[in-house]
Amino acid sequence: MRFFTATVLGLLAPSLAAATNATTPFRVALPSDFKPAQVFQNTNVVRNTNLEKSYARETVNLVVENIDKKPQSDYYVPFPADVFERVGGFEVRDKKAPQQGRFEVTVTEPVASSETQYFIVHFPEPLAPKSQLTLGISYSLLSSLSPLPATINQNEKQYLSYRFSAYVPSAYQTLTQKTKLKLPTTDVPEYTTTQGLKSGADPERKGATYTYGPYDTAKVAPGTELPVFVRYEYTHPVITVNLLERDLEVSHWGGNLATEERYWLRNNASQLTNQFSRVEWTFASYQKAPTCAVRELTYPLLPGSVDAYFIDDIGNVSTSRYRPGTAKTGANLEFKPRYPIFGGWNYSFKLGWNNNLSSFLRKTANADSYVLKVPFIQGPKMAEGVQYEHVVLRVVLPEGAHNVRYEILEGTTSNGLPGQNQINATFSSLKTYMDTLGRTTLTLEVDSVTDEARDSQLIVTYDHTLMDALRKPLTIFGGLLAVFFGIWSVGNLDVSIKKR
Amino acid sequence: MAQSSPLDIVLKGSSGQSTRGLLRIIILLTIAAAAVASRLFSVIRFESIIHEFDPWFNFRATKYLVQNGFYSFWDWFDDRTWHPLGRVTGGTLYPGLMVTSGVIYHILRFLTIPVDIRNVCVLLAPGFSGLTALAMYLLTCEMSTSPSAGLLAAAFMGIAPGYISRSVAGSYDNEAIAIFLLVFTFFLWIKAVKNGSIMWGALTALFYGYMVSAWGGYVFITNLIPLHVFVLLCMGRYSSRVYISYTTWYALGTLGSMQIPFVGFLPIRNSDHMSALGVFGLIQLVAFAEFVRGFLPGKQFQKLLTAMVLLTFGLGFGGLVLLSVSGIIAPWSGRFYSLWDTGYAKIHIPIIASVSEHQPTAWPAFFFDLNFLIWLFPAGVFMCFQKLKDEHVFVIIYAVLASYFAGVMVRLMLTLTPIVCVAAALALSSILDSFLTMGRPDPEALANAGAEDSKTLRSTSKPVVGIYSFFSKLTVSASVTVYLLLFVSHCTWVTSNAYSSPSVVLASRLPDGSQHIIDDYREAYYWLRQNTPDNAKIMSWWDYGYQIGGMADRPTLVDNNTWNNTHIATVGKAMSSREEVSYPILRQHDVDYVLVVFGGLLGYSGDDLNKFLWMVRIAEGIWPDEVKERDFFTSRGEYRVDDEATPTMRNSLMYKMSYYNYQSLFPAGQAVDRVRGSRVPAESPQLNTLEEAFTSENWIIRIFKVKDLDNFGRDHSNAVSFDKGLKRKRAAKKKGPRVLRTE
Repeated sequence: MRFFTATVLGLLAPSLAAATNATTPFRVALPSDFKPAQVFQNTNVVRNTNLEKSYARETVNLVVENIDKKPQSDYYVPFPADVFERVGGFEVRDKKAPQQGRFEVTVTEPVASSETQYFIVHFPEPLAPKSQLTLGISYSLLSSLSPLPATINQNEKQYLSYRFSAYVPSAYQTLTQKTKLKLPTTDVPEYTTTQGLKSGADPERKGATYTYGPYDTAKVAPGTELPVFVRYEYTHPVITVNLLERDLEVSHWGGNLATEERYWLRNNASQLTNQFSRVEWTFASYQKAPTCAVRELTYPLLPGSVDAYFIDDIGNVSTSRYRPGTAKTGANLEFKPRYPIFGGWNYSFKLGWNNNLSSFLRKTANADSYVLKVPFIQGPKMAEGVQYEHVVLRVVLPEGAHNVRYEILEGTTSNGLPGQNQINATFSSLKTYMDTLGRTTLTLEVDSVTDEARDSQLIVTYDHTLMDALRKPLTIFGGLLAVFFGIWSVGNLDVSIKKR
Repeated sequence: MAQSSPLDIVLKGSSGQSTRGLLRIIILLTIAAAAVASRLFSVIRFESIIHEFDPWFNFRATKYLVQNGFYSFWDWFDDRTWHPLGRVTGGTLYPGLMVTSGVIYHILRFLTIPVDIRNVCVLLAPGFSGLTALAMYLLTCEMSTSPSAGLLAAAFMGIAPGYISRSVAGSYDNEAIAIFLLVFTFFLWIKAVKNGSIMWGALTALFYGYMVSAWGGYVFITNLIPLHVFVLLCMGRYSSRVYISYTTWYALGTLGSMQIPFVGFLPIRNSDHMSALGVFGLIQLVAFAEFVRGFLPGKQFQKLLTAMVLLTFGLGFGGLVLLSVSGIIAPWSGRFYSLWDTGYAKIHIPIIASVSEHQPTAWPAFFFDLNFLIWLFPAGVFMCFQKLKDEHVFVIIYAVLASYFAGVMVRLMLTLTPIVCVAAALALSSILDSFLTMGRPDPEALANAGAEDSKTLRSTSKPVVGIYSFFSKLTVSASVTVYLLLFVSHCTWVTSNAYSSPSVVLASRLPDGSQHIIDDYREAYYWLRQNTPDNAKIMSWWDYGYQIGGMADRPTLVDNNTWNNTHIATVGKAMSSREEVSYPILRQHDVDYVLVVFGGLLGYSGDDLNKFLWMVRIAEGIWPDEVKERDFFTSRGEYRVDDEATPTMRNSLMYKMSYYNYQSLFPAGQAVDRVRGSRVPAESPQLNTLEEAFTSENWIIRIFKVKDLDNFGRDHSNAVSFDKGLKRKRAAKKKGPRVLRTE
């Protein structure tokens, strides 16, 4: 029946316009002995490293000067190949005019000789010789903090360690530089001190802030490392989402935007030396003692979110609380995993809710064209932050939607996502709920994102005509007609063996 | 008479017939909807979840079928159960249930309706109970000319607790579809006997084959239909109708049943099936005799008949004995013996006796499960005696057999329920038909009749005062209405309170009245699923095997299939022995984790310590020298867990695991076990070879990890006392009087 109607209606349907701006991230291949040409010089570099969350967040402000004779527009930012894949939300702006938006950035393959990978920053206008530009680079380093000791007892404090080079890695000569390290506590049992690099103590301590530098590095070759090690107390979980699948389903008939998220979560905190003890855990939770186990996650939802659910592979998790909130404040979903998630433990689950479509979808002046504005990722909001290793966002548009385009909204500050050319976009078709042609589906995949990206917005525009909307009722009508006709004609057959 | 009533126009004549037909369809659909709706308590109250124990296996098998297709399901060797033996699952299960839900799933998927296989499984039983109500209508309509009997029977079947107990949403067990198939097969059989039609006989065989693929209880049909035929023959009611329908059914049905690998050649080798074969032979002889009778004079025929009967009986009996002795025909199974002797299992097969649903039924259970149907039942059977057509003989036989079986085993209440519904509906419909119709006998005709014998009692001379009076009609119909209303409220109450708990999830109330869910089972199972290696072997008592396989997705040693008593006894021995004995058993079976259920903190009485004696008994059955039930009782014969517990008890692995570290939850010396209501010894038992790996929030599930061999080659008790900083125990130094060393 389905094929019958599919063929009939397929003739009526307009040919689906093919995907419009699907992208796959590409990487520039470099020769094996590649070294960026020394056409720039960093006059001053200030790096702020923030370790208050469970991943490192760095912003680097640098004054770049063109020391070549020709105008230059490509600035190389190096990372070791093993760190490179864990760099999340890499973004570069003109520090003096951040409202002009992010610079275009391309990515390279690793260079065989030096095991280095580069982000190539393309200036919108080439930088004239002798002139300067102030760049603001921001990114986060996922899984960069490792617990030390790696195993602790259930009620012990957890210490994280962070290793970096006090000389900011750069492909170019740097004149002066310093690094400000912001730690979550003042309980810092170990940190590297340097001698003779600058006057006074290095690092300078001020509360939980440690400043390495300023160093005069005019004579230090680019790429030189000055390893620094810090170890600090951090008795909080290190929440890592190995994979987040997020589905947004738009239904014009139902006026509904359904969201479902599937998480594969892992706590990368210190593991337990011994096994889990329920007695200790009962007493510790009674005293509300700090712990590196995930006890509960809070998930703020947008205003008007209803029908929230929290399930996992074996059914409903009864320990969740849903606070609907008012129209303005938005709802809150507080959910407890079935068991406390200690270091090294996994937990996978599903969340979902519904929203009224009218607050996300607008019709444009052009009658059959729609604009959908939805959050790119939402995710739980935790003081210790959440890092996502891989995110797959699927926007399921109504059946017959065509001429689909998407765009990620850029503001004056970082939205936590990498540039659009680093997001893998594909279009496909999904058949569900008696579809004949299937629903147009936009799939966006991105690696290494943190909860900084919670506020990012995705805009999808598409065309959807009245004929597209009527296809399904007509299909079902046709199908039922065929069934009734079939039954009627079978009922009229005479198969008896009696003589007439 | 209200001849001019507008209702009569639609209720009488040819348009009336179709109106009544439409009404009947609407009523039946409403009954089916009510049957489905009354089974949804647990879904509404909890969630769409598979219940109990066995359904978890069926659910897992269905998932396997849906994912891997029919042929690999057929050949499924499951190496994740009964470690290290594995189980030839495809050949040792009744696939009807899984295949049914697989087919439904694939149809829905074909229509691109994105339904989860779990929801298909959860809602299968309610859906089929709607069909059962319809089948019941058809069956009862064959028994009675009254149109109301069928509808009443359908309504009874829809909501009778005896059937609901096995078919609430989530109770995804073989019975879910088997009862529908049972009733429908009987309907087809009655139809076949009545019409003597090959078509109906073949349909009976078809649904019998489906029934065989769905439930081991098919043996009931296998024996009931031959018995029906046998009784008919004995009553001298041989007819070609019976011959045609029985031979058609037997030949096709037996072939059909042999297609199921688990059944295979049982229909010709197992004693349970011999009556069908015997009756098949008998009916051929009877038919032959009938045939011959037409050609021979009476006297010769008598002689021939006697000779033939003696010969065949002698041959048949001799053959049966010979085949039984030589082992070609399998002897009766243990469960079969326990049907005749309720004490049999307790003595010989503790594993059968340990299952609560194999216990004899308590009398109140009949009223609890059937309410007022149980006292209408004899009346209905009596009315069958009054008519005593072929189909009524069937009802009587069914009623007698099912009543006996339901008295022997609790779970067989299920097979009794359909016939109770039929009989009760027959009785009630005849009451209603007599008292609800407004018609009175024609006074003139009565007067004529009265004139003929005017010497009768004075009370009958005015017949309109008797049962035709408005008062008596009102009384009877009002009381019947009250009974029916009570029945509905009883059924609702029983369903809601007794049969709608998933038992995986426990519900309790918080002080503010809101529902609090105790979800320890799933907490622990999900922990296992997420945080242990994929092939970690879990040892637990067999009750939890299916749940661990389904929810934790880990290999288990024993499960609810209980096909290997020795393996179960091995687990029982490991649980009931000292650590020194248990540890080698655990190592030999590659056990990584041991799971126990402990209800002491919450007062959850279905825990392992309460089942412990069964473990001991089953282990004792295999190793009577090593495990002795007597050692677990104190000298006064008490089963205690406190300070007075016997040393064997306190040293058993089960006891140690249950109470390990439990004392530290309480102030010193105050630890209380709320299930057994006794104070627990102040000192926590010491575990040397196991370590606590996980305990659920309310301590219901405790999981212990089996320690690896010690790195320094010490035995575990030495290693533990070393870690605690204790001095190493010297090897049993006897404190005798000091003696001078001579050597």
